[in-house]
Parts: sequence; structure tokens; C-alpha cells
Amino acid sequence: MRWENFRFALFEKAPEALLEHSMIVVITITIAILISVPLGVFLSRPKYKKFGLVTLNILNLLQAVPGIAVIALALPILGLGMKPAIVALLFQSLLPIVRNTIAGLLGVSSDVKEAASGMGMSQRRILWEVELPLAIPIILSGIRTATVYVVSIGTLASLIGAGGLGNLIMGGLSLFRPEYLLVGAGLGALMAIFLDRMINYLEYRITPPGMRVE
Amino acid sequence: MIQLEQITKQYPGQAMPAVDKLYLSIPKGEICVLVGPSGCGKSTILRMINRMIEPTSGVVKIDGQDVTTTNPDQLRMGIGYVIQQIGLLPHRTIAENIAIVPRLYKWPKEKIKQRVDELIVMMGLDLEKTRGKYPSQLSGGQMQRVGVARAMAVDPPIMLMDEPFGAVDPIARTHLQDELLRLQKEIKKTIVFVTHDINEAIKMGDRIAIFNAGQLVQFGTPEEILTNPINEFVEDFIGRDRVVKKLNLYLAEDAMQPVKCLLREDELQNVAQKMKDTGAEVAFLVNEAGKTCGQISAVDVKEFGMDIEGLRKRARRRSNAFVQTTTPFPDALSLLLEYDADYLGVLKGEELCGVLSFQGIRKHVYRKEGE
Amino acid sequence: MTLTDFVSFLVKNTKTIMEYSENHFTLVLLAVGISLLIWVPVGLLLTKSDKWAARVLALANTIFCIPSLSMFAILVTIPMFGLGRKSALLALVLYAMMPLIRSVYDGVKNVDRNVIEAARGMGMSTKRILVEILVPLGMPIIFAGFRITVVMTTGIAAIATYIGERNLGRFIQEGLVRSNTPMMVTGALIISVIAIGLDTILGMIEKRIVPKGLRVSR
Repeated sequence: MRWENFRFALFEKAPEALLEHSMIVVITITIAILISVPLGVFLSRPKYKKFGLVTLNILNLLQAVPGIAVIALALPILGLGMKPAIVALLFQSLLPIVRNTIAGLLGVSSDVKEAASGMGMSQRRILWEVELPLAIPIILSGIRTATVYVVSIGTLASLIGAGGLGNLIMGGLSLFRPEYLLVGAGLGALMAIFLDRMINYLEYRITPPGMRVE
Repeated sequence: MIQLEQITKQYPGQAMPAVDKLYLSIPKGEICVLVGPSGCGKSTILRMINRMIEPTSGVVKIDGQDVTTTNPDQLRMGIGYVIQQIGLLPHRTIAENIAIVPRLYKWPKEKIKQRVDELIVMMGLDLEKTRGKYPSQLSGGQMQRVGVARAMAVDPPIMLMDEPFGAVDPIARTHLQDELLRLQKEIKKTIVFVTHDINEAIKMGDRIAIFNAGQLVQFGTPEEILTNPINEFVEDFIGRDRVVKKLNLYLAEDAMQPVKCLLREDELQNVAQKMKDTGAEVAFLVNEAGKTCGQISAVDVKEFGMDIEGLRKRARRRSNAFVQTTTPFPDALSLLLEYDADYLGVLKGEELCGVLSFQGIRKHVYRKEGE
Repeated sequence: MTLTDFVSFLVKNTKTIMEYSENHFTLVLLAVGISLLIWVPVGLLLTKSDKWAARVLALANTIFCIPSLSMFAILVTIPMFGLGRKSALLALVLYAMMPLIRSVYDGVKNVDRNVIEAARGMGMSTKRILVEILVPLGMPIIFAGFRITVVMTTGIAAIATYIGERNLGRFIQEGLVRSNTPMMVTGALIISVIAIGLDTILGMIEKRIVPKGLRVSR
């Protein structure tokens, strides 16, 4: 292993790869949240419970598909580039967030909802002021799972031309440059761990002290 | 016989010991109730008997033998243990649950089946319906009975019960208490029973040990404790109505007087004379069949004089003012109030055998107070 | 790509498919087997100490976050491991740490304390309690963890082609490199079907594994 290669990987190639990777993660997760949370809210309403169960079943099934297969299948359908990768990753990041949204909302004690309703709060208010705030810690946990997943499988996205840290890793493998491997893989690992810890901390801070489970 | 000698339990980081130099001798074949407010250490003490908790110092002896000389698992197999939440194994049937300790003792299958069936019936449960069910299919009261049955499976001489009836509704609780008392009359086990309810303690205990903050405050029979509470704590714990609570300890036959005057319905016109002759304060009416059907007191006679019909009506009004020899004082008092009577006839089965008066009850309790 | 393309590919390459499948399954079997042997006892031990449980679970969580490609890549740079099965196995076993330890720990911890108290009070030995109570009652959660592990390992194993394994992931790898779409798609489909199939079968078993007493109710 040589220092020049390290330097090259870290300072020349990494920044761009890191940026691409971050973009993939941020865009995917943002869209995932925008779709999943409302979907989860929708499915947690008693009226739509049946839809909910069916949707959860389907998503559960899709979750079993290995990340690499998802990325690979995106190619013939959507082509090369970042956008197809984002769509592919999107599919797999929906389940954790939807599932946790539903679980979080359904987990709100019915006594609390009853009391709120008895005080004259409309269903809409109850949703926004009671259910969602109480469910946020669990929803965040689902977002955390999805985020780590996207960072992880996102490394494979380079295979379909999306860029990202996978480029460094694949480059390292094919050129026999362990320095590239360490930089690319190391940054990937750090990014995943960092985001995991950060969102975890957010969960902790957002949970009212009385509700924290030690 | 269980002896707790200088038992202390000190938890690290706590200022006061949970149990402080306890000396207690639990007689054989009796129900000994450990009672006291929450946190007084009674459950801790109970669990030191079967080594679920080990004392910091002191010795527990069962029939003279130090419990630490036996392997804990073996020790517990020989002691029945019932806890408030019962703890039935949810993935085993009722029959399998009851069979746990017999299986540990490696009893033959036939013997186990027989014993399990015997116990289910003994606890008042339907055999066919209960054997194969799972705990989640039973009611709270039924589960408690199974819990007790399970503890008695190998007929251990000692049973430890920690608030065993605490998790069921009051009606079920009363039934369970009565069942246990009934069983105890036959089986005479040494039972150590923990509760925070003084009323349960008085009802169930042959002897009561009252605890506060790890200390034994008073140890004695219910009567002793209710008659002579040793300090203000015990007085408060028992309650301001301690003498009324004492009433539960006595039965009609304890204070009844012999019947002096019996009248047939057609002799009503002679009631005044008969009562004067026999020196009775109350006369009981019997019908043709010889069954009691009313009572007349001296006051009634004064009030109605020659009005036979009025007398008859008054007598009839009290046709149910009768108790059994085994009726406890409180029930008798309730009847006295209900019929606005000063006297109750005491029956043994169908047969009249005594008179119980309010004065009699009063005198009896007062006399016991002085003892 | 049409159905006929897909089927004809399957027919033409049956031998390779068999070879890759065999490699894939032996890797998965080996990885899951080793993982069970190591992590299940660890999970059981951790139930005795909350302090250590927190530490070990935190470690497992951190390892779990590492992207699989990263993990493989880093292991490759270590002289002792390099390309090939050893690295693949180590990575897979490390990934299994989280779901297995978590589920064994949660499963056992969740058993009703009163049941354990009553069992101890009756004189059941620690070993008996473990075998007759903790494991059966904890099984639903433990098996759920096992299921996740198996499905996850199957998926990550495919990525191991990039460090030299010759398994079903190779169709995807070669298909991408050589722009051979039928190969790539077929590979992706085969492995998807296997993953979904395993998940479904294990899911059905998971439902049956709940002890009877916990399923019935009044």
C-alpha cells in the first residue's frame, strides 16, 4: 500500500464520490419519508385496515429481495444513472418507514385518543397534535433503518452508473488498489454509522423524558 | 416447624436493612400470616424460607435442619410455593402444569395422572373441562386454584403463599379463602401466608406476625392481637374498629344461652304465664311440625297484653330471626338489627338449641377484652 | 426481455446455475450455522448482565451499519483474509451478530418473570428452566431473528461475488460487466425468488412455532 494512492483516493476521488453518495441518500430518504409517512398514516386509519394489511404483506415480501438484485433489476427497466438507482433504493426503503409509522400510530394508547376526543379535539387535530408526536420516536427508528440500508446498498449503485462511494470500492477491487478500498469502504462505513448514531440521538432527544425506555 | 433465627437482609446501597434481626418460630400445622404495609419485608422473609433470597446473616431452620444444608432446587421441590401472579407455564396444559414437581421427582406416569386429577377435583374445578386447557383459557379465579393445586402436587408439608389471592376480584377471593380454610382442616399443613390486608390475616391466620420496616412488631393469635395491640402502629394498622373486627372470631354458640320457653301456636294466650313460670325473657313459637316459626319477647307481651292476634303477628314477623350455631357474631348482629329484635334463636341444623341475645354478645366480647 | 428469453437462458445454463446455486447455499449454510453456534450462546449469556448486553448490542449495531460491500472490501485488504471464502464467511457471520443476539436476548428477556419465579420456586434447576421454559417461550422471537438472518445472509452472499465467490451473484456481476441483460436479469430474478421463497417458508414455520398455549385464548 502506498501513501500516494491513499492521498489520491482520499482527496481527489473521495469528495466527489461522497457527494454523490450523500445525494443518493438524501434524495432517496426524503422521497421515502414523503411517501411512506402519509401512506402509513392512511393505512393506520381504522377504515383502511384491510388495505393496510395487504400493503404490509406486499412490502414485507419485497423486503426479502436482496439489495443487489434490486439494483440490477433497475437497469433494464430504468436505465443507467442516479435516478434509476434512487428509484430502486426507494422500493426497499419504504417498508421500514411505513411499518414503523403504522406501528407507532397504532401504538398510541387509545385512552389518550379517547380523552383528546372527549375534550373536543377533531380527528385531524388528534392526528397532528397527539398521535404523530407520540409516534415520532418509532417513525424515526424506521427512518434510521431505511437510511442505513440506503447508504449500504447505495454502494452497489455505482454498478449502474449512479456514482457514489461504490466507485471507489469497485475501482479498488478491479485495480488491486487496497488504498481505494479502504477509503471507499471506510467512508461508507463511517457514513452509515454516523447517520445511524445521529438519528438515534435524535430519537432520544425527541422522546419526552417520561416516555424514554431505558 | 420453621425457625428464623436472627435473620437479617441488607441490600447494598440501602440505609436500613430490609429485614432486621428477625427471630420467629412458626408452629407446625398452622397457618401463620405475615402481614404489614408495603415494603415491610414480609415477602422478603417468605422468600428466605425457600432460599429464593439468601439472608445476609442468620439461619433458617426447617424441622431443626439448616436450609442451607440442602441443595436449593431440592429444598424447593419439597415446599409448595404460590405467588400472586401465579406464574403458570403458558405453553403447558393445566394437567402438565400441576405435574411439574411430580415429574421432577420422577413419579410413574399413572401416579402422576391420578394425583393431578385428584387435585383438580379437590380445588373445585371441573376435571374434564380443565385438564387439557391452557392457562390463557381460564379465568383469574380458576388459575389461582390451579396455582394452589400445583403447589400441593407432591403434598409438601410446608406451603409458602405470597399474596396468593391478591390478583382476583373480591368475590373470588372470598371463595378461595374459604376453600383454603376448608382444605386446611383436612390436610393440616404448615402454611406461611403473606398479605397486606389485615382482614385477610385475621380470617386466615391461626397466628399473625405483624411487620413494619423490617421489624417484627407483634406475633400472636388474631384474638391476642385484636385484644391487646402492642403499640400505636399495630392499633392503627388493625384499624379503629378493632373490636368490631374481633366479632368475626366468635360464633353464635360461643354466647348462647339455653332455651327456657317454648310455645306452641295454640298456647299463645298463656304466653305471659309461661314466661313468668320459666323465668324466660323470650319465648319461641313452634308450629305443628315442631319447627320454629317466631319469637316473642317480654316487651312484646307487655305491649300486646291480651291481643293474641297482635302477638301472633309480631311473632311471625320474627319467623326468620334465627341463626346457626356456626354463625359468626357480625351476621348475628345484622339479623338482630334487621328484625329489630333483642334475641335470636340458635339452631343446629333444624333443631332449636339456644338463645343468642345482644346483651350476650356484648358481654362475651367485653369479657374477652379483659383477658 | 421476454419470458422465452428468460426460460431459454435457464435451460441453456442449467449446469452453471446448479454450480452457482450449490456454492451459494453452502456459503449461506456455513455462515448461518457458524453464526448460530456463536451468537445464540452469546445472546443467552447476555441475558444475565444488562451492562454487557448494552455494550455488545451497541457493537453489533455498529457492525450491522457497515455497508456489505465496504465490509467485504475492508476484509480483503487484511493479509490474513484477502479474496475468497474466508472473508465472505467472516463478513456474513459478523452481520448475523445483530439479528441473532438481539432476538435471542429479547426473546428470553420477554418471558414473563412470574413464570420464571414460580418455576424456580418449585425447584426447577436453571438448566431445566432454560430448556423447558425460556427457549420454548422465547422461540417466536428467536425464530423471527433466525428468519431475518437467513434471508439477509442469502442476499449479502450474492454480493460476495465481488470478492471472488462463484455464486448466484455472479450472473448479476457478469451480466453488468458484459452488458448481457438476460443474464443479469435472470440472475437477479433467481436470487429474488429464492430470497422471497425462503422468507415465505420460514414465515409459515414461524407462525407454527408459537407454542399452542400462547395461541389459544378464551
